[in-house]
Amino acid sequence: MTRANWSLVDVAAQLLECDERETVLGDLLEAGESAWQGLLDVLGLVIRRQATLWKSWRPWLSAFGLALPSSFLLMGFSLSVSQTYQQFTSPRVLNATGLTPGSGFWLLMCNVLLLSAWSWTSGFVVGVVSRRTLWVSAVFSFLPCVFFLARFRVESLSRFCLLLFLLPAIWGVSRGLRIARIKLSSAIVLAVGATGLMILTWGGRSPWISNSALIWPAWYMVATAWKLGREAAPR
Amino acid sequence: MILIMLGEFEYLLITAAAGLGEEAYGAAIREEIEATTGRKCSIGALYTTIDRLETKGLLRTWMGGATPQRGGRAKRMVRVTPKGVRAAKDFYDAVTRVSRGASWVANRTGSAS
Repeated sequence: MTRANWSLVDVAAQLLECDERETVLGDLLEAGESAWQGLLDVLGLVIRRQATLWKSWRPWLSAFGLALPSSFLLMGFSLSVSQTYQQFTSPRVLNATGLTPGSGFWLLMCNVLLLSAWSWTSGFVVGVVSRRTLWVSAVFSFLPCVFFLARFRVESLSRFCLLLFLLPAIWGVSRGLRIARIKLSSAIVLAVGATGLMILTWGGRSPWISNSALIWPAWYMVATAWKLGREAAPR
Repeated sequence: MILIMLGEFEYLLITAAAGLGEEAYGAAIREEIEATTGRKCSIGALYTTIDRLETKGLLRTWMGGATPQRGGRAKRMVRVTPKGVRAAKDFYDAVTRVSRGASWVANRTGSAS
């Protein structure tokens, strides 16, 4: 039994929650098991714990209903925002389109705010809904990023403009993990604001299916805040 | 009253925990099960079953003290609740009843061969 082998057991045990990690590592020491057997035991428990989590609808919703489609759509919108910025800063394009700097700036701001709101709310809901399977949602979010980064062929733009959504999304995830719920009034302001921006930005030519896929996390936050508020209210 | 039907391993775990009394915790229960059944009991099966039984209200667990032989790590102490005792007794009664007349039960040898 070597120290290095036990380090492997310690690493595997990091996948368990704090109290359980303490208990299991203590049990292994007390039973005097070999590091190899200990590693199998810990991995067995980790697999059982993960399997139990996936009996719920939450990790499925988070990974396949939110992380995967949202990262696809938000990458597309990040690209659109970058192109709007490029047009706004190019006098040649401004002259050609007849846009004034003022209207171009307004459009750009709406796009940036909408991108931030969509990304933040998606990240927040992923953090709240599947905190213990977050790593799976993260993988499903990063897979499309890697795929499109490798195939990005727009010469006038950096490929990293695809990832503009990541910062607000990661911020949303960290807030979701930390605070778990948001006040109803804040949720309503956020959802109404994002919906308003969406209508303003896209107007009549709105791609409703993709926009609905990006706006529902904001309204989900409203629904859960309302539900939690009702449950907490004295009867 | 709703009858909670235990599984075989759940029954073993509750019985081992009840037998250990104040000294019932993860490693001790595991050792007891392995000693009495002669079968390997994995930590995964043990703790997921403990969680399930706790959710059903048949066990109560809490973090206990640490000992030097555990490298200063805490134990997860286990106590069988009255509901757990009832469920185990129901299981035992059911097994006893259904086993009456079986060839492997004492004093009834040879009829199945």
